[in-house]
Amino acid sequence: MFVQGTRSKQIGLEYQTNDGLQRVDINQSASNINPAGDSPKGNGKIYRSPAVAVADIWDGATVSISGFAGCDWPERLIKALVEQGSKNLTVVCQGEWSAPGDKGNIQSLVASGQIIKLISPMPFRPARADPRQSGEVEARWKSGELELEVVPQGVLAERLRSGGAGLGGVFLPTGASTRFGKGVEVRDFGGRDHVFQPGLKTDFALLRAQAGDTLGNLVYSGTQRNWNPVMAMAAAVSIAEVDEIYQAGELDGELIVTPGIFVKRIVKSN
Amino acid sequence: MMPTPIKIDVNAQARRVARELVAGEVVGLGPGIPSLLPAETPKAMGIWFLADSGACYYGPPDGQSGVLGDVVDSSGGEARLLPGGCSLSIVDVASAACGGHVGSAVLQTAQVSSDGNFSHWTSAATPGLFAPASAIDWASGARRVIAMMPHIAPGGSPNLVGQSSLPVDGLGCVDLIVTDAAVIRVTQGGFELVEVAPGWTADDVAAITGAPISTASGLKEMTFEPPTGQAPSKVYSDGPAAVKDIPDGALVNIDGFAGPGGMAHYLMVALRDQGAKNLTIISNTAGIARVVDFGSPPGKIPIDHSILVENGQVKKAIASYPVSPRASRPSAFEVAFQKGEVELEVVPQGTLAERLRAGGAGVAAFYTPTAVGTLLAESKELRIIDGKEHVLETGLKADFCLIRAHKADTLGNLIYNGTSRNFNASMAPAATVTVVEVDEIVEPGGLNPEEIVTPGIFVQRIVRRPAEFSPYD
Repeated sequence: MFVQGTRSKQIGLEYQTNDGLQRVDINQSASNINPAGDSPKGNGKIYRSPAVAVADIWDGATVSISGFAGCDWPERLIKALVEQGSKNLTVVCQGEWSAPGDKGNIQSLVASGQIIKLISPMPFRPARADPRQSGEVEARWKSGELELEVVPQGVLAERLRSGGAGLGGVFLPTGASTRFGKGVEVRDFGGRDHVFQPGLKTDFALLRAQAGDTLGNLVYSGTQRNWNPVMAMAAAVSIAEVDEIYQAGELDGELIVTPGIFVKRIVKSN
Repeated sequence: MMPTPIKIDVNAQARRVARELVAGEVVGLGPGIPSLLPAETPKAMGIWFLADSGACYYGPPDGQSGVLGDVVDSSGGEARLLPGGCSLSIVDVASAACGGHVGSAVLQTAQVSSDGNFSHWTSAATPGLFAPASAIDWASGARRVIAMMPHIAPGGSPNLVGQSSLPVDGLGCVDLIVTDAAVIRVTQGGFELVEVAPGWTADDVAAITGAPISTASGLKEMTFEPPTGQAPSKVYSDGPAAVKDIPDGALVNIDGFAGPGGMAHYLMVALRDQGAKNLTIISNTAGIARVVDFGSPPGKIPIDHSILVENGQVKKAIASYPVSPRASRPSAFEVAFQKGEVELEVVPQGTLAERLRAGGAGVAAFYTPTAVGTLLAESKELRIIDGKEHVLETGLKADFCLIRAHKADTLGNLIYNGTSRNFNASMAPAATVTVVEVDEIVEPGGLNPEEIVTPGIFVQRIVRRPAEFSPYD
């Protein structure tokens, strides 16, 4: 399991070739930005702290949170949201896979009672050897405190993409004739049943990237990319937690995965 | 009663599944025991393991962990990209899974019924609470589904059943089951025993199977030797070789925005020389570079779609900008249209991009607010969604796709230069055979994985555009 903190401190990308390991520095001369700026909030898209960046997430908001299988959460942002305390949140995320006791993960948001509904393809870690793994989600779901909407991963991705791209919804063959095709519109296209999946937009997205620049452009490292690009598109306000922030122009344009038009706020992870 | 023979372990199961894989194919892996596959499959097979985490073309960590600590597999375990591997976003994983780009999917199941229905392994623990992740996507989109599971549940009940007792997560989709006791094919007539684990007999297997099971002629004992085979090369010798099988009447995506940038000139010339007729071309323009000055050198006329139109090969264009911006200089397509020689379907640019994306991602149709109330939405289904009128548009998938990238590696991963990216990236997945011309072909690992825009799972053929080739007539 990848542990946060093993990532190279120096910004750059390492990858394997037939000749061994290659390293590409995003920009060797890049200067790190002082995010303080002049205002209490921060400087443009750069926010002073995770707490300031999530301060206006309201009770009842829909919030998407990136991360996959317990890895690469926007840890500081989640922690700040727990401390901020807004209630009745609908959270859209891969799932609750983190080890109990970890801070800054979905489990801490579930445990704090802030979530009323979880939309997720993997709402608990199915490792039955350790029943504590799914304790919070399962207990709250059973007691009726937490509503669960289990959605196949690809369907959730398409719903978010549809919402982010301004579409009203898509027809997908996934899950037709199973429990995912019950009580929903099913239509035949080309001789195959397709399920109507409405677009899904969120009020906020909490994202995790390797680096960003002052315009909000983001680059990722490895599978950290996961849900970030599509969640960024689908949110009214996307907030990215990054290791390093650079001046506009210092990131290689061909490496940028999420352009700044989809990102409203950036905050440093440390 | 005789003691039950010893079951094989999950690693042996994975080694047996590996023998089913075809060199060079894309294999989708769900969480759980399928995560063992990359470690049990020889790298030389060139299997495109695709995890629902986005890891694409990867293997297990190989003792150098730490240097590539940012890649995880479907189970959240550490993985390592092989040279030529990259990380996809979840939405690209969804496109791959549902868009017909996956050859085999390997899933961990709780139950499989004799008609090929499966229940995901996470459905077994708490009724109503389950975690299918991408299993439903793989099952829906892969050409072949291989199920891995223990032959019996911990309580002793059979996992191969006549009728599922758990909720069904995929209908009639399982082709092969590899358990800790046997290999079973799912046929029209139900379960068919193909192989038994060492020390097992057909009767032993039947005794713990919850449905009738027939025995294939030539029943064998399971073997675990690593499979062999080499992925076929995607690199073609030249343009003519890469387009020679495009048939008359084919639907062909052709990239490009407006000017000559990011356009597969070399492949278009090859297609003209090849001569296929009655083509439907899907493209942003239907060829305007020959009548608009995009900064061509004096006396030079750029090559674009017009060469196919002029050669009488185009029956129809699906395009967003099919006219010359100068009425005084109509394009070859406009001239042909005025003569009634070609058909035209005009699609707004964003809708064209969405239709191609949908075609590549297995989305049959979608609702868009674009063009509502205009001629372009006439006679199409309308629906009010969230108080706003939307028009129903369908996905577009072509037979062939001719695109241009800056560089490819031999696995077909692509990078672009600037806005020459344009339609290339959304067109590549939206065709059965995607052919790419590039300036340079490098070995796997020669491209920075974070810079790869189009992963090789969406590319079937690569050809190098000769340095001396001129994109002008």
